[in-house]
Amino acid sequence: MQDEKDFIQELLNPKTQNVAFQKLLRDYQRPLYNHIRNIVLNHDDADDVLQNTFIKVFQYLKDFKGESKLFSWMYRIATNEAITFINKKSKRNGTTSEAMQTKIVDNLKADTYFDGNEIQIKLQKAVALLPEKQQLVFKMKYYEELKYEELSEILGTSVGALKASYHHAVKKIEDFVKNN
Amino acid sequence: MKDFKLDNEPKITSGFTTPDGYFDTFSEKVLAQLPEQEWKVISIFSSKKTWYYAAVAILILMLSVPIYTKYSNQQEEIDSATLENYIAYQSNISEEEIVNLLQQEDLDKMKLEFNVDDAAIEDALNSNSNLEQYIID
Repeated sequence: MQDEKDFIQELLNPKTQNVAFQKLLRDYQRPLYNHIRNIVLNHDDADDVLQNTFIKVFQYLKDFKGESKLFSWMYRIATNEAITFINKKSKRNGTTSEAMQTKIVDNLKADTYFDGNEIQIKLQKAVALLPEKQQLVFKMKYYEELKYEELSEILGTSVGALKASYHHAVKKIEDFVKNN
Repeated sequence: MKDFKLDNEPKITSGFTTPDGYFDTFSEKVLAQLPEQEWKVISIFSSKKTWYYAAVAILILMLSVPIYTKYSNQQEEIDSATLENYIAYQSNISEEEIVNLLQQEDLDKMKLEFNVDDAAIEDALNSNSNLEQYIID
């Protein structure tokens, strides 16, 4: 925790800021990309949202109080950015975000940056049918392999509620796969 | 697919991929968008400095006004003295010309002073024992 405090100081000090921010980028670009990509599904959109996420992180670092971990604070920004992005995009296309997600998943095979077999596509389709919160919990727990405690810090939900959400999601997914 | 249990299956990954070398260039892409904000941070700092220097400069100017006024007045006095000296010793103006420039009033004043001087001269002449000698001469 002391290390993290020192690192935050380095990020805020104009002299060390550049080097520290580059380290932050190196450490977090892949996990945050995966997190955002799992929400927005498309690579180009994930790229845009990831850039905006890091720019916001840079802008708001001075307001970061250290009440939560840097890790969960950044995941929270990335989650908000990604969800805001898909809501705006679906509004622009005159559709709902659920309908848009389903459409993207249906066309995954044609996506240059998707390399998955039948079961992977089936799982993506099953996830796209879940309510927004259950989708988020499932993606973060199953695909990104985050711990319930980490999810709790990021999403501001109790571990018990998260476990319940995840089990509901898994049940629905298993039913979908069995029946399709 | 009967009895599908997610936990019994081998791990199913998302299947998402990225363009080759995407993460190698990503940092640069983000950093390229930051300098402007970085400069902002510096500019706030330097403008604070500028305000500080400006305040000091104004203070110095304000304090120097009375000193400047004092010295500039002295300068004027010196100048008029020099001018007087110049007129007294360097000019070719004849006494007649000066008299012509004087007002009647000034001349009257001078007469009065001259009268006082006449009396003094009379006294001086009366007390002078060589007066008769002068008259004869």
